Amino acid sequence: MSILQIQEYQGCLKPAKAMKLTIKEDEIAYLEGRKGTIAIAKSKGLFFYLETEAEERILFTEPEDLIVASSWGAGDKVKRALACTIFQLREMQAPLIVLPKGHPASPRLKVVVSIGERTRCSCQIQPGTHPEQDVLCACQEFHQIEIIGRSGGAEILGLAEEESNIAVQKL
Amino acid sequence: MCTVGGGPDIGNIESLAAKDYECLDCKNQFKGMGRRPMCPSCKSRNIKAV
Repeated sequence: MSILQIQEYQGCLKPAKAMKLTIKEDEIAYLEGRKGTIAIAKSKGLFFYLETEAEERILFTEPEDLIVASSWGAGDKVKRALACTIFQLREMQAPLIVLPKGHPASPRLKVVVSIGERTRCSCQIQPGTHPEQDVLCACQEFHQIEIIGRSGGAEILGLAEEESNIAVQKL
Repeated sequence: MCTVGGGPDIGNIESLAAKDYECLDCKNQFKGMGRRPMCPSCKSRNIKAV
């Protein structure tokens, strides 16, 4: 490994910080960076439909679990898209329609979503291609952060606070 | 669980561990993942793994 590679690698490392966010059931939290945005909301213990060509699966959640949505870009347009996705899934019980692997629409998708107790963000995976189902693709700024559902909110590990704006709003 | 919004693509869904359940109240059969399954049709928790 060259010195340049070591410096680049060290640049990717984030200080191990833990931050707790209070998120009520009618709220959404945004982590907004320069090149990406993450939205977090409680799952409210609801279940979610996953639909493939062959079958339907139901994903059951706990009240403290989270819906985490990630998109590339920042600003009001991106935040509205994230809130819309979470609203459809949680409030409208919209089914998740699963495209077959390699479907031409996959690269066009703008928002990725993780639902569960814990989400690890990575900038080194392609949307929809990762077998570890607690991994969510995100931009470089949010690489390696971990978002964990806690009673009344969420805990975020590894976030460099100076790289993102954090806001909690009504969903 | 990770997926993609819009027209979601969650990758290899078949590799995820799902159990087959039957609702003892309405007889609905479904595949589910998670710790607290309930019948998606009648919302009953009176279910059994089959």
